[in-house]
Formats: sequence, C-alpha cells, structure tokens
Amino acid sequence: MQSRLVVNPSLCIGCRTCELACSFAHAIGGKPTLSRIHVHPGGHKDLFVPIVCLHCEDPACAKACLVDAITRNESTGAMELDQSKCVKCMACVAACPFGCTLHDVQFRQIVKCDLCGGDPACAKFCPTKALDYRSIALMRTAG
Amino acid sequence: MVSLTINGKVVQAESGEMLLTVIRRLGIDVPALCQHDAVEPYGACRLCMVEITKESWNGWKNYVTSCLYPVEQDLIVQTHSEQVIELRRTLLDLMLARNPQTPLIQRLAAEHGITKTSYTEVVEPDDCILCGICTRICDAMGFHAISSVNRGHGKEIAPPLHQPPQDCVGCLACALNCPTGFIRYTDDGRTRRIWDRTFDLVTCEKTGQGRVTREFAAFLTEHRGIPEEYFRVNDESHRKELAQTMGDITNSTREE
Repeated sequence: MQSRLVVNPSLCIGCRTCELACSFAHAIGGKPTLSRIHVHPGGHKDLFVPIVCLHCEDPACAKACLVDAITRNESTGAMELDQSKCVKCMACVAACPFGCTLHDVQFRQIVKCDLCGGDPACAKFCPTKALDYRSIALMRTAG
Repeated sequence: MVSLTINGKVVQAESGEMLLTVIRRLGIDVPALCQHDAVEPYGACRLCMVEITKESWNGWKNYVTSCLYPVEQDLIVQTHSEQVIELRRTLLDLMLARNPQTPLIQRLAAEHGITKTSYTEVVEPDDCILCGICTRICDAMGFHAISSVNRGHGKEIAPPLHQPPQDCVGCLACALNCPTGFIRYTDDGRTRRIWDRTFDLVTCEKTGQGRVTREFAAFLTEHRGIPEEYFRVNDESHRKELAQTMGDITNSTREE
C-alpha cells in the first residue's frame, strides 16, 4: 500500500522539529547530518511552509544523474540516492527545480529525502500533523 | 542464488555478485582502494585479495582479488588468513615506496605493522596511487577528459598531452572521489579551476553563487533534457520560491 507525505502549511507552526528529527534520523556515527526538510517562511503572517522532496513522477535529479545513483524505491515510491554510487558532481543539486537535493558540506555528501524507507521521522515528530504520512487508499475513500 | 562459506560462515549471494560485495555486506573489513560502486571493478590496488578454495580442489588454494571474482557455489573464502595478510603487507610495503608521504597509505601500512618501506622510496613522491577511480568515473559519466598515460614507473593520470582538457566540463567528480586528494582544484563559487582549465559557474540570479559550470549545465540541457532555466537559481532560492508559491496558495484558502 503506497503512502504519501502530505504537507499542509496551514497547520505548520514553524517549530522546525521536523528538521531536527530528519537530521538525527539520518545521523552518521551519532552525528546529525544536514536535514532533508526545511521550513521556510511562507511570505504571509504566521505562515510557514515545510519544503521537502516531492518525489516527482518525472524527476530532474534522476535524469541529471550520469551514474544512475538516484532510483525509485518501488515499495515506498521515494526517489532514493545510493550514497556509494554517488560521484558528488552536483548535477542533481543544480537540476532540482524545487531545491530539494542538497549538498551536506560537513559530511561531503549529497542528500535527499528517502521517506526514511517508509516511516518518515519528520511526520512522526510533527506536533500539529502539518506533515502527515497517509496511505493513498485511505485518502481516496476520505475524498 | 549460490551459497558459499566466508570465514567459516555459510552465506547466500546472488549469482554474478562479486566476492567483495558479499564480504562487505557481512561487515568484514577488507581494505580496497580502487573500488567505487559507480564504476566497474578494476583490480588495481589488489588489497582486497582473499584466499579461496573448494572441497573438490583437494587442498589447492588460490589467491584472487575479491572485487573481480564472481561468487561461486561451495566456494570457501578466508579474508584474513596468515598468507592473505602477508600478501597485503607486501602490497602495502610496495605502495609505501611509491607514496611514502600519503596519509591514507601510511595509515593502512601502519595497521599492518609497516611504518617504513623496505624498498627504495621514489625520488619525487606524489599522492597518486594510480587507482584509476578518477579516469573510470570520468569515462562512466561520458566525458573521457583524463586518462592514465605512460607505463611502468612513468605511469600517471593526466589530460591528453598535458594540456587543459577540451572534453572536461569541470564537474569535479575526479577530484572529489580521489581517495588521497591528489587532484587539486579551486572553487570560489563563481569560477572553478581544475586540470589547468578555468570554468565559469552558472551563478544564481539571487545569491551569485554557483554549483555547476556553464559547460556541465549545457551538457545536461542537451543530453539529459534538463531545462536551462532550472540552473538559473540555486537550491536555496528554489526552495524559497516554492515556499512563496505554496504560502500564497495556503493564504488565499485561509482568507475565504
């Protein structure tokens, strides 16, 4: 059963817990890495927008990758980056039109959202359900 | 699927997989310097040598580079037998003669109990270990800008005729994947210099900082169909634009 990470900016309070959860969920040797999700001000009063990979149907990051390091995980639907295959050429970082493929300067790696393999930490820690990991089947029945 | 024995443990592996992949998956630490998952195995450093045998071989053994050896049914593998460690010591002793000042080689050699090479050190040492990761990645990406030149002790990595390479797009993949940091480059966010060639970066209209060179962006547009306008702003500005758009939409539904 495929699920989607649903982002609802009207519920976001800008606490950035998701960024923290993401950094720690992808920690290397206990050290938090760059967060794959970023909360940006939405340009209006009291409005925040969490920006995270949209796992596009026709992803520019995968098209730009010359060594096929970014592939779709068929069970979660996420575009995942294979760290051991990545050659760090930054093609995907420059190509993503939403800026959701990121360069982690500290760990010298390219990072992107992988939906935590089907159990996203950001959604688990979001206190207001602005980020919600919902199954598509349930969304359809709810209308 | 095939089953084989590694260090006394029976493991399953997909047929066609290389031994090193299976060994690494078990968490066994076998050194390998020329291995990169983006490119085909090469067998240049030979540090991943392991001992193999089969019950049907009547006690005969063989020593193979595990990165290049496909798994076989009933293979019995030893990754740290006395002879294998002695082989690795010899290899590291030779490597230390070629790269006496390279921290990576010094560390690996020290782990095997060698602090000074028993051979004659080269006169003008550099940090290149001739693993070929740079040239193989460049080939895999389809640029073929650099290659190894000369043979024997004159072998080195260089662009054609030691001139600034015409086919290079300045993607830095060679430099960033070099295990010893031998390939030097400079990058100030606007221009980049590598292999004696200077590249202009496609800079963000808002921040003035760039990620890729004009040549690389043009290549991606032409061969991979990435629209040119995607490169005009950088990832941070892209995110801000998306936040603004989503913010406007959310705000309009909020007011209703």
